[in-house]
Amino acid sequence: MPKLEDVKIINKNEFNEFVNAIIKEGKYDVVGVKEKRERFVFDQLNTANELRLDYDVTILPPKKYFLPQIEKLMDYDLSKSFDVKKSDANVPRIIIGIHPYDIIAIEQMDKYYLDSQEDDFYKKRRENTIIIGTDIQNVSKYSFAASMDTHTTDSGFDLMLTDIGNKYAITIGSKKGKNLLQEYARVKDAKKSDLRKIEKKRNLIASQYMKKVDVKKEEWSKYLVANYNNTIWKIKSDKCLSCSSCTMVCPTCYCYNVKDEVSLNLKEGERFRTWDGCLLHDFTKIGSGEVFREDTTDRFRHRFYRKGNYLPERYGFVACVGCGRCGIACLPNIADPCNMINELSHFEKSDETNKFFIKQKTEIDEKGIIHIPRSATIKRIERLTSRETLFEIELDDKKSLGHNPGQFVEVSVLGVGEAPISVSSPPTEKPTFQIVVRKVGNVTSKLFTMKTGDKIGIRGPFGNGFDVKAMGGKNIIFVCAGLGVAPLRSLYLYVTDKKNRNKFKNIKILYGCKEPNEAMFLDEFKSLENLDDYECKLTVDTCPEGECWDGEIGLITTLFPKINLDKAASQDTMAVVVGPPVVYKFVIESLKTMGFPDENIYVSLERHMKCGVGKCGHCQINGIYVCKEGPVFQYSQIKNLPEAFE
Amino acid sequence: MKPKVAFFDFSSCEGCQLQIANLEEEILDLINIVDVVSFREVMKEHSDDYDIAFIEGSIMRPMDAARLREIRSRAKILVALGACATIGGINKIRNQWPPEDVKKEVYGDADLENNEYFDVFETKAINEVVPVDYYIHGCPINRDEFKHVVTSLALGKKPNIPNYPVCVECKKNENVCLFEQGKFCLGPITRAGCGAICPTNGSTCDGCRGLLKKPEVECVMEILERYDLTYEELKSRSLLYNYGRDECP
Repeated sequence: MPKLEDVKIINKNEFNEFVNAIIKEGKYDVVGVKEKRERFVFDQLNTANELRLDYDVTILPPKKYFLPQIEKLMDYDLSKSFDVKKSDANVPRIIIGIHPYDIIAIEQMDKYYLDSQEDDFYKKRRENTIIIGTDIQNVSKYSFAASMDTHTTDSGFDLMLTDIGNKYAITIGSKKGKNLLQEYARVKDAKKSDLRKIEKKRNLIASQYMKKVDVKKEEWSKYLVANYNNTIWKIKSDKCLSCSSCTMVCPTCYCYNVKDEVSLNLKEGERFRTWDGCLLHDFTKIGSGEVFREDTTDRFRHRFYRKGNYLPERYGFVACVGCGRCGIACLPNIADPCNMINELSHFEKSDETNKFFIKQKTEIDEKGIIHIPRSATIKRIERLTSRETLFEIELDDKKSLGHNPGQFVEVSVLGVGEAPISVSSPPTEKPTFQIVVRKVGNVTSKLFTMKTGDKIGIRGPFGNGFDVKAMGGKNIIFVCAGLGVAPLRSLYLYVTDKKNRNKFKNIKILYGCKEPNEAMFLDEFKSLENLDDYECKLTVDTCPEGECWDGEIGLITTLFPKINLDKAASQDTMAVVVGPPVVYKFVIESLKTMGFPDENIYVSLERHMKCGVGKCGHCQINGIYVCKEGPVFQYSQIKNLPEAFE
Repeated sequence: MKPKVAFFDFSSCEGCQLQIANLEEEILDLINIVDVVSFREVMKEHSDDYDIAFIEGSIMRPMDAARLREIRSRAKILVALGACATIGGINKIRNQWPPEDVKKEVYGDADLENNEYFDVFETKAINEVVPVDYYIHGCPINRDEFKHVVTSLALGKKPNIPNYPVCVECKKNENVCLFEQGKFCLGPITRAGCGAICPTNGSTCDGCRGLLKKPEVECVMEILERYDLTYEELKSRSLLYNYGRDECP
């Protein structure tokens, strides 16, 4: 309950005058709840008379004012070499009539968007917006906010209205709110009896919720963890249209996609972000066409786990505020979390809750400019195979990239888009860095047409690289399969560098690919051969007749018996494995038979890392973001994540 | 070198080409980045030397199929333009009856023997005759999507055509769901990309961009049951653009 000195009283007609005065002055874009075909929406107000503070729930939450359906991130001019202008179209805005559950959803969104990797577009919109909330007057029959403790709130607003008969009690929540009242409204001080009226009103609302969750919100996680493989997900998702209407209308769904669009004259281009939904089939699709959550069941389940387990483990709150919008929007009526959790409550619950999540600190020095790429120049291009090409890149500010082995960058080709690509050179090579690109999607195909001297954009380095310190004083065995050699090269060239070599013990490199013509960096491996305590074995799955190959023939796992590695040594050896998804299962199995503890095995995973900073949601594997907690993981960290090695 | 572009029409209203003609001043940008060598609706000149062919219309006669194959053999990239070309569209309604019966109904007893102009077969979308590289869906096409496809091809990238239902765009537009208003909308199973233009303006979606799901699937049945609709109604609603098709190209 608010403090007496924070509460003011205003007549309803005077409140309307207050709103009209703000509209008339024109300093703010004034938005409020209006009727639309017997439903309600937040929309621009022309006059206070349009306000419908007696609404039950709006079609879309006010999220659209902080993360718009389409938000321009930058403009660029394709006729110039690399001319990028960060977008900044931001108007001061007042939103009138936000219900407590939506205010709480905005507070949750703050934690998400204003964490260590702060989203400056979101931040600006937040700072420029004044929130005038309202206590609920009519409860939506789909809402279960009372079960979520979100039907009232004492924070997150600048002003909060409570209808107490022919007057509003206005609770002041911030200095901004206080100043607004002082400037535009005539209010009286509240009496103690007014506080009682507020309390009575709120209690009355709480009693009107017909829809209730049978499980406390703190317990959601336990039921979800215990029932990951329950057939209920399949039974429900068979009715799912994969239309993602549930996420579109959700106040706590924040995922977005990023796109480039160019005008018909091929000069002016823009990059924008737009709402995306994890129920859509292509949500997890990567450049090569692979989709990581192919089954509707997996996508359907993911949404509930994100709300009830993944985000709670990360931030400490259930990412559902009980507004009931998804229940209204879902035509087959399967999206409502209240119904889902109530059904799950008939099954067992677990005591463990953080099963699908790992905590890892990531540091980022790009705070505030996470969406805008830096200009860079292609300095050298080297064709490695028929599919792979190496690009040596220099940032135009001449700074070195400052990456750790195993990190990745987002490579931008203006007009086309962005793609996450591992850095392939060690940090010891400065100031340029190298990436190895396989031609698979739009960005990589475009890169293949570029020439030395052409400009590209770089964001990053991002993610969690290899733990070089933990490898100090240990033996290291590298297992590179196919294109996996590209990210691993940043590490094996680092540890074999003259300056670093004595920090590590014995080094073994196993490298396998399908055929000899796919092998890369063979000369480099050869040149390393004169190092002490170094062994390198190469293999191809098959060697077609007429091709020259002096390495082994067989799958990469057949190399293990051929290297000198006793069981005792495996405790003191770090195994670093990178390859296509299918390789992990077999290689890890072999390593375990050789006695490698799970903690000593490192892997690097590939997902659709769109934003690189744990915001857009595309790279999620259960509760973790590959772009943030990965791409490099200790096997022990992720062996229990069901989506990791599917 | 600007890519050479040609537009061709088969059985259609030519409204999709009109959408392009209606780009108005932007058409100057278009001809700056591509060389339009054939476009009957807006120019007299014609050349058979082109890189990209845009095809409007359905294929209804063997002679049309032959002409389309000829175009395909000349074009490096072939783009289907509009519902008649991408899914057969309205022209497929005719497939409810045998071609001979249709001919009889329309031309009566006229002597059409050995006249190739009147020699008809079942209506086909163009991908039922030749391989198609890209699809610009809709009746008519969405000009913004046409621009997206042209700029994408000019920049050497694959156009991004939505693979999700109209509901996504309808929700973003904050429309009151037409099912809530007691109407039967095909949006939940129709490919998006139109910006949900029909539902946004109060009309139900007719599925002109093709169906993403087979209408028989359980999720659709669930909706029919919930909103007290029948499978027959669904079939009859899909008839306009999606006769005989249960999945989109």
